[in-house]
Amino acid sequence: MSDQLADDGAEPVIEAVEVRKTFNHGAVVALDGVTFEVAPQEHVAITGPSGCGKSTLLHLLAALDVPDSGTLRVAGEDVARLERPNEFRRERVGLVFQMHNLLPHLDALGNVGIAMFGTSMGRRERTERAQELLDLVGLDGLGHRRPPELSGGERQRVALARALANRPSVLIADEPTGSLDTGSRRLVLQLLERLRVEEGVTLVVVSHDERVLDAADRVIHLRDGRVVDDEGED
Amino acid sequence: MSFAWLVLHNVWAKKVRSMLTALAVAVGVLTVVSLGVVTDSIRTTASGVLELAEAEFVVAQEGIGVLDSALTETQLDMVRELPGVDNAVGVLLNTSELGDDYPLLIQIGVRPEDVRPMGVRISAGQEFDADAEDEVMVGIRLAQDLELTPGDSLEIDGEQRTVVGVFNTGSEFGDGAVMFPLVSFQAEQMVPAGLSLFFVQTSGGVAVSEVQQTVEESSPLLTAIRDLVEFGQSDPGFELITAIDQAAMIIAIGIGALVVMNTMLLSLVERYREFGVIRALGWSRRRLVGLVLGEAMVIASVGAGVGVGLGFLTVWILSNLPDLLGVLEPIYEPWIFGRALITAIAVTVLGVMYPALRAARLSPQEAMRRE
Ligand SMILES: Nc1ncnc2c1ncn2[C@@H]1O[C@H](COP(=O)(O)OP(=O)(O)OP(=O)(O)O)[C@@H](O)[C@H]1O
Ligand SMILES: [Mg+2]
Repeated sequence: MSDQLADDGAEPVIEAVEVRKTFNHGAVVALDGVTFEVAPQEHVAITGPSGCGKSTLLHLLAALDVPDSGTLRVAGEDVARLERPNEFRRERVGLVFQMHNLLPHLDALGNVGIAMFGTSMGRRERTERAQELLDLVGLDGLGHRRPPELSGGERQRVALARALANRPSVLIADEPTGSLDTGSRRLVLQLLERLRVEEGVTLVVVSHDERVLDAADRVIHLRDGRVVDDEGED
Repeated sequence: MSFAWLVLHNVWAKKVRSMLTALAVAVGVLTVVSLGVVTDSIRTTASGVLELAEAEFVVAQEGIGVLDSALTETQLDMVRELPGVDNAVGVLLNTSELGDDYPLLIQIGVRPEDVRPMGVRISAGQEFDADAEDEVMVGIRLAQDLELTPGDSLEIDGEQRTVVGVFNTGSEFGDGAVMFPLVSFQAEQMVPAGLSLFFVQTSGGVAVSEVQQTVEESSPLLTAIRDLVEFGQSDPGFELITAIDQAAMIIAIGIGALVVMNTMLLSLVERYREFGVIRALGWSRRRLVGLVLGEAMVIASVGAGVGVGLGFLTVWILSNLPDLLGVLEPIYEPWIFGRALITAIAVTVLGVMYPALRAARLSPQEAMRRE
């Protein structure tokens, strides 16, 4: 799939060149020159031991932080030079966090709807879109449940619906199946694949989970902040 | 889900916290409102003296409260001769009490021929004789309260007096007073030829302020008071009350703001994760600060409402305390609501600005790392 797209000459959706990121004034090197590309609608998994820099990389992709050096282009934008990073986060990328991170006092509809504030959508439109997304992730009828009243898998699906609210070109997910049982995990994986096909999103998924890695077109292995293997690259 | 709904929802979702914060605002507002009403009331009660006469201004002793002012007949004669002065009437004031119902009784010594020129109407009976010793006139409010009519007798300061007339000044303060014939009143107070205030009427065609200036320049011992503001400045006691009132307002706002800041900081630390999440979802800093301020404003409004209610209750209780009955006639000026609102907003904005900006400064992923 990715190769086909690459052959078509499509612009990569993600382009990382020698991306470096340190913390604590250089004492902790989280990413040490990471280079890779992701084509539109590709499904890429990132894996590696704990602390190798996976979450850090996702945060950079989502413009939650900027690289120290190197260039990182996502959906046509240089994430280090965004004028309005919040608009980029809202419109271009969808983010599913390592922990589901739903707001506990809002119901499922509210949790999805909150991602649409500041867009051109009106109140009614936002609610309709939130309902539509919950239907899409198979949670029709559970819109008024709050996170404590949902199972882990259901919560993760709410988080997915929320990430898709503004039709992002890239969906970034950090361990989306981390705390799920086999059944829920299968559901989430099927959903991700459907989203890629039906909504045309590019998937970047961090995981340790074999089944998640199997489902991907390509797996990037990180170690100590470096790409040690990129199965999609020849 | 609208922004306003989210604001209200967040306030409601943390009921106890919101209520505590509103309470802190309410206490600040309560203090400011009740002190404001009391100060206004004292100012109005005291300045009632000024409304007694159809005079352009009042002359009192420089640097002393109106009720303690000490002047003389000689000074009165001098003022009468000043250019621009058409007429000046001198009165001697004293305060006393009349049983438990009237802890503050204003006594006015005045010449009978000066009563009507001062703008006082006689609504029953007549003026006392100039040299009478035991005749008095009572204000209409006092007459109604004590069911007095001309011919009745009334004991004041241990002496039986005959009520010869009832007068009406049109001012709450004046209508609760008692008038005595000046000469015997001076003797009784042991200040022969002593006066407290002069009520001055100016000649037509002269600016009142010019005449006031003439009076003040004629003697360093005299001050000419025209309105409430000058009244406040001329009376050190009143200045003190005003200063206390203002200090209390500042302290109330300060303490209120600290309490609000404290609860808000605590609650925002609890909510760092939430803020990190919504910022990561693409909320701008401004929208986030707007959310926090919006929540604070809802809490402030509730606090202001409760505070005004409690403030009025406090004033009502104060004005009904036996010792203060009749002394404190509560005056509710409209601006007291403005003051309540300003206090509530000041308390909240001061209290919430720092926590809100701190929350907004945090980068999203940093906020999400916080547990
Ligand atoms: N904000 C930060 N401040 C300091 N060090 C950080 C920060 N964020 C990450 N690190 C460090 O950078 C390295 C990479 O962290 P990262 O969270 O990207 O790892 P990870 O691959 O996601 O691990 P895991 O699989 O456990 O989630 C780690 O050594 C981590 O301690
Ligand atoms: Mg991680």
